[in-house]
Amino acid sequence: MNWLNWLSDFFSDPDHRSGPDSILHRVSEHLTLSGEALLYAALLAVPLGLLIGYTGRGVNVVTALAGAARALPTLGLVTLAVLLAGVGDTAVLFPLVALAAPPLLVAAVEGVRGTDPDVRDAARGIGLTHSQVLLQVCLPSAAPTLLAGFRTATVQVIATATVAAYVGLGGLGRYVIDGLATRQYAVTVGGALLVVLLAVGAQLFFALLARFALPPGVRAQRRAR
Amino acid sequence: MIRFEGVGKRHPDGTVAVEGLDLEVPTGRITVLVGPSGCGKTTLLRMVNRMVEPTSGRVLLDDTDVAELEPAKLRRGIGYVIQQAGLFPHRKVIDNIATVPYLLGWDRKKARARAAELLELVGLAPETAKRYPFQLSGGQQQRVGVARALAADPPVLLMDEPFSAVDPVVRAGLQEELLRLQSELHKTVLFVTHDIEEAVRLGDQVVVLREHGRIAQLADPHTLLTSPADDGVAAFLGRDRGLRGLGLRPAKAVELRPVDDGLRYGGWELALDDERRPIGWIDRSAGTAELQPSAGYRPDSDTLRAALDAAVLSPAGVAVALDADGRAIGTASREAVLAALTPAGGGPVSVRKPDPADAMGTPAGADTVGTADGADVVGTADGADGGR
Amino acid sequence: MDDEPIVRWYWIGDHLGYLGNLLADHAVIALVPVLIGLLLAVPLGLACARFPRLYQPLSAVFNIVYALPSLAVFVVLIPYTGLATQATVMFPLTFYALAVLLPTTVDGLRAVPDSVRQAATAMGYGPWHRLTAVELPAAVPYLIAGLRVAAVSSISLASVGALVGRGGLGYLFVDGFQRTFPTPIVAGITLIAVLALAVDLLLVAARRLLAPWAVREQGAGS
Repeated sequence: MNWLNWLSDFFSDPDHRSGPDSILHRVSEHLTLSGEALLYAALLAVPLGLLIGYTGRGVNVVTALAGAARALPTLGLVTLAVLLAGVGDTAVLFPLVALAAPPLLVAAVEGVRGTDPDVRDAARGIGLTHSQVLLQVCLPSAAPTLLAGFRTATVQVIATATVAAYVGLGGLGRYVIDGLATRQYAVTVGGALLVVLLAVGAQLFFALLARFALPPGVRAQRRAR
Repeated sequence: MIRFEGVGKRHPDGTVAVEGLDLEVPTGRITVLVGPSGCGKTTLLRMVNRMVEPTSGRVLLDDTDVAELEPAKLRRGIGYVIQQAGLFPHRKVIDNIATVPYLLGWDRKKARARAAELLELVGLAPETAKRYPFQLSGGQQQRVGVARALAADPPVLLMDEPFSAVDPVVRAGLQEELLRLQSELHKTVLFVTHDIEEAVRLGDQVVVLREHGRIAQLADPHTLLTSPADDGVAAFLGRDRGLRGLGLRPAKAVELRPVDDGLRYGGWELALDDERRPIGWIDRSAGTAELQPSAGYRPDSDTLRAALDAAVLSPAGVAVALDADGRAIGTASREAVLAALTPAGGGPVSVRKPDPADAMGTPAGADTVGTADGADVVGTADGADGGR
Repeated sequence: MDDEPIVRWYWIGDHLGYLGNLLADHAVIALVPVLIGLLLAVPLGLACARFPRLYQPLSAVFNIVYALPSLAVFVVLIPYTGLATQATVMFPLTFYALAVLLPTTVDGLRAVPDSVRQAATAMGYGPWHRLTAVELPAAVPYLIAGLRVAAVSSISLASVGALVGRGGLGYLFVDGFQRTFPTPIVAGITLIAVLALAVDLLLVAARRLLAPWAVREQGAGS
């Protein structure tokens, strides 16, 4: 058995073509779970990060906490959450949000703090209110950093969401875990490959976003650095 | 001695930084290259230690073509000081200074002893040795930079705008320090600056460059200020070059009225204390005892500019000459100071000296095409402004 | 679940030796790859700094490596390195560490101010000598910042190895989950966090010792 055989077995299996175990369904489960986790993490971390970065208060605490959060093992959090709250999306969402929030928080803080202080000063000087400065000046200039943070968070969440299958949830992790349990390497390898493709796709998506969607002035500035 | 022979630098993209330059940098003297940005002065400087290779001509160091020497070896024998000091952030001051001795294979003890010597020479406290560069002020970092360049006692020192990044007060101190060091060490110094004031202050000879490294004028500072080669150089020197020229002439030339001959000038009288130190000027005609401050200068160390300044500042129009202890030794009226400015007053004769470099620096065609003259002058003046 | 407390202290008390063994195994599985990553990142980083064209393709490759889900990679490796062996887990972790350490090394080497580089050249350092004697020591704070990120991530990631049979403390998660017994899970999370914190503090101390001239925190990746 070699890789190619495994993959052709995996992709030609009728169960993987339609129904609850179909590739399309598993991918959509995976993306839904990852998307939800990212959304909650963003809602939580981005406003908080912008505010902390703008006021400059609590930056050290946030950086330390974000560093500490990296040490939390997702598998441990997932299993614990399921034991405490029962199998369900919420149980898995909590660890994934904990995974995605720190890079977003740090990116928002660093991005806002990276705004040229002279520009901020000038904006205040010509009569913008604090919230206007934050939204119209700091946010655009933080966009590249923030985007990089989203990229890190997305890739990590997509890769880690695989673990959710271990506690009985769907997504591409199902293939990996089930294949492992039943000694069907074709299934495991196929699932792993799909996760890799999703993660690399997300990387490319953010690279393109950084290239084309950022305000031109900010892009040029970034290159200059 | 450093000699540039028909040196040129053409970049791969076709732009010309320097074109056919000849220049001699005499041994044991300070030669300053000055000019607007883009005149190729830094390029020229970096040709000496082969940080830049000329595309034509050659650079001779004591009659040896530097192109024949191995770059690393050549550079270890040439001190190099740059604007941002470029100290190694991870090394203590003492080890920064000892960098070249270490490279030359001196043992650690000897290199450090030498570094400690230099630390003192550039006027830094011994406890600075154990600090890291980030713990020093800009001026101190620059002093360490100079000490590091001098560590292996190289006969040649290249300085590329070394004092441009520090504030004016510190800069003046560093310039004075350099002159003092030079009076002890007699290095062959090639110094690059865009600041004509600095050039005139430090240079034994000043080379004014214009675009593409063409020499507009090569002269000693006094000649430069009193007789610029053309309008372009005059514009670069600035409007008060006459006054600045006074800064190069000793105040000794001013004839003093001894204190014993009286201290009255019109209605004003200079009041002295028991030690003969000036207290101020009293307006006798007003009949009040109110004192106006007096301004003084030191004839033995100050320049004519300081004497004139003191005369201008004084309400009576009279400068007070002081000795080292601040005691009045005489007075000099504005007229007396002015008399020292004119040739009859004994100052250096301000007649334009013929200088071979003048002919070289005059742009080709400026003499022959009358109408092009104006345009050329305007262009050069703009360049000069841009440089400052 | 309702009557099961989050932590049963007696279990921890009864299993101290067992926990200690798992902790030691975990430290080896997680940290040896970081060390190997460092040993690879420094020469690779120097080469990238010397030959900048090398960096673009290498960094693209490691960007993708970083995106690979650890569980998937562990699984894919099993046919080659075997189920439940240290190599299955350590091999990918080495590459994750390298993916973090290579950019920080190159950033650090590049962060040396141009004036410092020029001064070094002007004093007679050749390109390689300058890289190793000036730029590399100046990059130490960056290297340590990178090590902190790599070590903490590695310690956390290693636990996923439990799903393929070798995950040090991660085994506690599998064990606890299968027996619906949260105590080992809590113990595992705690010990992993403590190990990460200890290593992090050690690296901070190393920075103070090796680079006392670095005033501010430099170059930590998010």
